[in-house]
Amino acid sequence: MEGILNLWNATGIANFTIPSLIMIAVGCLLLFLAIAKGFEPLLLLPIGFGAILTNVPVAGLSDPGGLLYYVYYVGIDTGIFPLLIFMGVGALTDFSALIANPRMLLLGAAAQFGIFATLFGAILLNYVPGFEFTLQDASAIAIIGGADGPTAIFLASKLAPDLLGAIAVAAYSYMALVPIIQPPIMRALTTPEERKIKMPELRKVSKKEKIIFPLMVLSLTAMFLPAAIPLVGMFCLGNLMRESGVVDRLSNSAQNEIINVTTIFLGLAVGSKLAADKFLTVETIGILVLGALAFAIGTASGVFMAKGLNRISKTPINPLIGAAGVSAVPMAARVVNKVGLESNPHNFLLMHAMGPNVAGVLGSAVAAGILLALVG
Amino acid sequence: MDIGALLTTAGSLMLTGMVGVFVFLSLLIGAVTLMSNLVTRYSEPEASPVKSPSFKSQGVPNEHIAAISAAIAQYKSNNK
Repeated sequence: MEGILNLWNATGIANFTIPSLIMIAVGCLLLFLAIAKGFEPLLLLPIGFGAILTNVPVAGLSDPGGLLYYVYYVGIDTGIFPLLIFMGVGALTDFSALIANPRMLLLGAAAQFGIFATLFGAILLNYVPGFEFTLQDASAIAIIGGADGPTAIFLASKLAPDLLGAIAVAAYSYMALVPIIQPPIMRALTTPEERKIKMPELRKVSKKEKIIFPLMVLSLTAMFLPAAIPLVGMFCLGNLMRESGVVDRLSNSAQNEIINVTTIFLGLAVGSKLAADKFLTVETIGILVLGALAFAIGTASGVFMAKGLNRISKTPINPLIGAAGVSAVPMAARVVNKVGLESNPHNFLLMHAMGPNVAGVLGSAVAAGILLALVG
Repeated sequence: MDIGALLTTAGSLMLTGMVGVFVFLSLLIGAVTLMSNLVTRYSEPEASPVKSPSFKSQGVPNEHIAAISAAIAQYKSNNK
């Protein structure tokens, strides 16, 4: 009889708690969003599954000795996974649009206002009872506005590991929601005439320029912002492998196998942080609200900057492309293209929007470096 | 009180952060523009040899080109 009782006590059913059941439901919701709705499936599927695994009672996958515990420790605690992903993103990024029109970097810079305004907002939220965000917490939450998953995870793992699960889920969910969040803001801030503006075709960029570009970004970062070197360095390595044209095998691995393998484990490790005691808090609600705010402000400030540039520039600039400054490559650029086509069916803005889009990646990496240097 | 002090820090962080991002990316704009100018200036002498292989790619052997130009020269001198 005692044996049967022991066996019963070792079953999941006997050990389920309400919070862990809720978290398993959250995991299932993420799986549903990934599979049925196609929201960032590459990340939300492993994250959702990781959330389910980590909340299975008795198994203790996230306790010391468990699989997810080690995956998290090896990949995220050390910062390695987001950096490997960043190398792959670098190998996937074509900077021609930005090299052809370097002023687009200003749009990528302006959109980072979403990050810093949200930082302020997160501290402001401390006036609401139940919220106690430190400056580190606020910085990690604010980086959601950079709309860049690996950067957000990297910074959160350094500044606020306890909030990492919620921050990563918010970052990736909002990135999937870019086509819903951005267009209303873009339409509200521009006139139909502005949306119709056609931009001159971009010049062709030589291979030499493309090879020198990552080296130049690296040396500028090394000189002025070494705190951003982990992110920028891996990014530039990936980009140099792509553009040099002599290591196609390595570049292909970085773009495909390495980024894919890393994505699986990064997702699982992030999911392992979706434990009930860490996720089912008021702070999570705050993070979700602040994240949406960060996206909206970033989009708006990018559009405003583009409007300003259009005023002073000799060549016309369509203000819509400012919205692509929030990174979220290439989704934000596609959204710009789509909104542009609504106003003028012959105006293709995709290539023009890629400039601010990749500038946004650099901008958020630089912002992350500044936050690490000042708050970390 | 405590939150007020945090807010001041957050405000100054916002200011320094945005200034930092803008300064860094503006430096990058300058560097990219300079680099592009230098590259195009130094590449110009290379631009002409780049064009000659395009002749080869059309699959016309050099002897044919020589023969054709000889014929043209002959035709021109005959028709003077």
